[in-house]
Amino acid sequence: MLVIALAKGRLLDKSLDLLASAGIRFSEDVSTSRKLIFDAQDGKHRVVLVKPADVPTYVEYGAADAGIAGLDVVLESRADLVQPLALNFGRCKLAVAAPAGVELSASEDPTVQVATKYPHITMEYFNARGIPVELIYLSGSIELAPLLGLADRIVDLVESGRTLKENGLEIVEVILESSARLVVNRASYQTKRAEVLKFMETLNQLTSCASST
Amino acid sequence: MKAFTQIPPGTQILIGHAARRRRALERTICSVFEGWSYEEIVPPIFDYYDVFIKGMGTGLEEQIYRFIDRDGNILALRPEFTSLVAKTVVTRLNKAPRPVRLYYSGEVLRFEKPKGGRQREFAQIGIEHFGSRGKSADIEILLIAVEAFERLGIADFQINLGSVDFFGGIMDRISLPEGQLRELKEVLSLKDQSGLEAFLGRLSLEQRRKDILRAIPHLTGGRDVITEARGMIRNDRSIQALDHLEEIYAVFERLKLARHLTIDLGEIQGFDYYTGILFRAYVPQLGFEVANGGRYDGLPATFGEDLPAVGFSFSVDRLEQIATPKLKLSEADVADVNGEAFDRALHLRQEGKAVKLCL
Repeated sequence: MLVIALAKGRLLDKSLDLLASAGIRFSEDVSTSRKLIFDAQDGKHRVVLVKPADVPTYVEYGAADAGIAGLDVVLESRADLVQPLALNFGRCKLAVAAPAGVELSASEDPTVQVATKYPHITMEYFNARGIPVELIYLSGSIELAPLLGLADRIVDLVESGRTLKENGLEIVEVILESSARLVVNRASYQTKRAEVLKFMETLNQLTSCASST
Repeated sequence: MKAFTQIPPGTQILIGHAARRRRALERTICSVFEGWSYEEIVPPIFDYYDVFIKGMGTGLEEQIYRFIDRDGNILALRPEFTSLVAKTVVTRLNKAPRPVRLYYSGEVLRFEKPKGGRQREFAQIGIEHFGSRGKSADIEILLIAVEAFERLGIADFQINLGSVDFFGGIMDRISLPEGQLRELKEVLSLKDQSGLEAFLGRLSLEQRRKDILRAIPHLTGGRDVITEARGMIRNDRSIQALDHLEEIYAVFERLKLARHLTIDLGEIQGFDYYTGILFRAYVPQLGFEVANGGRYDGLPATFGEDLPAVGFSFSVDRLEQIATPKLKLSEADVADVNGEAFDRALHLRQEGKAVKLCL
């Protein structure tokens, strides 16, 4: 039995589509059910639904053998995982955004204030450029922060850019091009090798087919 | 006051059943080590910072707890035992007949995120074997690990065995600049196929070499993996590494232990000091490795003697989550604290019986 953690939210439907193409199907509608654990009809796979940022945690600890999560979430978690595949969906950018005219840093500001739910990535990005940063951790609606004067800049996920625009923000710099990743627990990769490799190979074929068409 | 009511993050306290289980596990493993003629070494809990820098290598030094003594020397609480033991063998034990076989058991400290049931202070128990080159010492170490698992009642375990020289031999021929080598090691250690493809796409390298690098993450399994790898490589260092692994595998087959051994040529993570074989042990119930080790011929030389060395250690805190040693509490005879109770208690103690005074 291979336990797969899926991220609730924007990646869920595409993740389920991918599993369905791989022959992993469920007798009920996973995306609308209120349950969190689902056994596949093949009896060999079990899916658990968790918050996106928790996928790396479940997998790192081996509570789930594998998971599908955005690269942004995987990197932010700093979890020690096998990351064998980039999947062809969930594309978006992790970017620094600010009201028009605001740059990455202004020479007169000794420290820039940045609101984000990606504290590790943000700190690394600014520190690598020698810019002192004061992190303001928020867990949602990050684009509000500049409107209310909480921070001049934000680091957040940008998909279409519409939310930014509606809130009068623009991308200043792109930190990371993200997409969904398959992640696997290091011990499961060894102790359930046959199952894991078969799952990986199937997803790999589906992913490369999709990208060549 | 905070210090009196809270514990610092990264520490833990063992009491009652947990403490008895810890000691029972340690005793079981130590008896296996002693059964293979390893002698205990009890090294200091701190030494000069530089001693550990040699051992941990780049990247991990920030995990070391450092402090400065009154003379201005930089000291460190031990983050591992291997460097300490190697230094001792080269200095204090420089006249002792080789091979030197030592085991240790105790706490180490690393400033890392506590996870997998392991705090910043955690227990390690392991062995180091100095002075033997070649496969026999490697096999001895592996067999000791196998016996320890069996004595702990853990029947289902898997040892992943790789070799630094297999990958090293390939990289000798390709010779990438340091930045690219780091990037390659990173994608290989993540087994990141997509990242590897992107990396290879940017690299001007003949197709045959790219195919070798592409294959590395998949070279995991039984004897067939060695055969497959042989078909790909031509350099002597990698070939010798494969010969070596095959000889070890053959011995494990003969001893009917091969089911526990997985050849893993994609394993390239580990402390900088490893030079030959490299292994990690896993059990199905746990998401983290429970033991790791390997050959580190280069380490004793940094302390002044060119001496081959091989060893491994168990992560005791992780073993505790899966091993369930039988803990026999000796039934205490109760002595009444009236009249001649103390006489009776002494008498029982002389007979070797446990007593518990009713106070």
